[in-house]
Amino acid sequence: MTDDPRPRRRLFDSGFFFILAIALASGAGVLVTQGWEAFREILLSDLGLAALLMPKIAAGVLLATALALVLPKDKVLHHVGPESGVRGLAIAATAGAVIPGGPAVTFPLTAGLMTAGADLAAGVAMVTGWILLGLNRTIVWELTFLPADLVLLRVLLSLPVPIVLGLALRAAVRHRARRRAS
Amino acid sequence: MNILIGTILIWGAAFWAVRHLHRTAPEARPELYRRAGETFLFMLPRLAVGLIGAGFLAALLPEAFVQRWLSAQSGVSGILLATGFGVLTPGGPFVAFAIGASALKAGAGAGALVAYVTSWSLVSMVRTLSYEVPLMGRRFTLLRVMISLPAPILLGLIASLAQ
Repeated sequence: MTDDPRPRRRLFDSGFFFILAIALASGAGVLVTQGWEAFREILLSDLGLAALLMPKIAAGVLLATALALVLPKDKVLHHVGPESGVRGLAIAATAGAVIPGGPAVTFPLTAGLMTAGADLAAGVAMVTGWILLGLNRTIVWELTFLPADLVLLRVLLSLPVPIVLGLALRAAVRHRARRRAS
Repeated sequence: MNILIGTILIWGAAFWAVRHLHRTAPEARPELYRRAGETFLFMLPRLAVGLIGAGFLAALLPEAFVQRWLSAQSGVSGILLATGFGVLTPGGPFVAFAIGASALKAGAGAGALVAYVTSWSLVSMVRTLSYEVPLMGRRFTLLRVMISLPAPILLGLIASLAQ
């Protein structure tokens, strides 16, 4: 069994308070500019949405956790680990682009893959492949609203982005490691 | 409806992975449920607060306002502005496409549009806050957002030249 590499986390850390601060500030903004009725309506509808999403999130978390334990670590390391080169980043980006599903699926999958051995750059390439090149969203939504030639231009320009970002991250990680060593 | 279909699909995949684990490594079961439970509990307050914050942010940024600005500005300043609006635009899978389409009709250029859609895709603050920070952690999110920010500006500039 693999060790759990994640650091111990506190339930309420500065990350949580950061999200809370943004929610409070924007909530106050709505309260001041649009009044109590609008505030209450948004609060209730988003609480409802959160409740509706919970079963999906629970499944996503279970899937990601199980995948991290099930996936063969040596294979994951070989294909999308820190030494996997451009090929590894391309695999990760393609996986992100073709896996159907929204954030509740893609983020847990990426987290599971990273626990099983994928490096930060491959994780970023996968997330970037999904949000920039996700076939589902481009075909279903983008082409419905925007002219095809513009969509094509955007997709063509975006093709190298996941790999470029991954390479930049790996270079930055290496640079920092070298600086720390010297 | 989409949520229901998605939920069923993910539960199917999760059951498959759990069954696989039961067969190959039954001793890992308690560990699986402990870890999954911890992560879920960690996410719960973050996702709820993130979604509510996203809803408030959305209400503070009227669509007509974004559309007017996107079509009024041109050149590099238009691309920078489009990138900024992309970060702020909240919403589901098509909000930014709808705003982009109406801005295009009102005279926005290809550069601004590509910058807007790319920036919304890459660093939309709402998705980042309500999903990515809780699921991936702050370090991953911060690094990814920082390294992604030049992309919409660059792609917008290239697109405006290509037009």
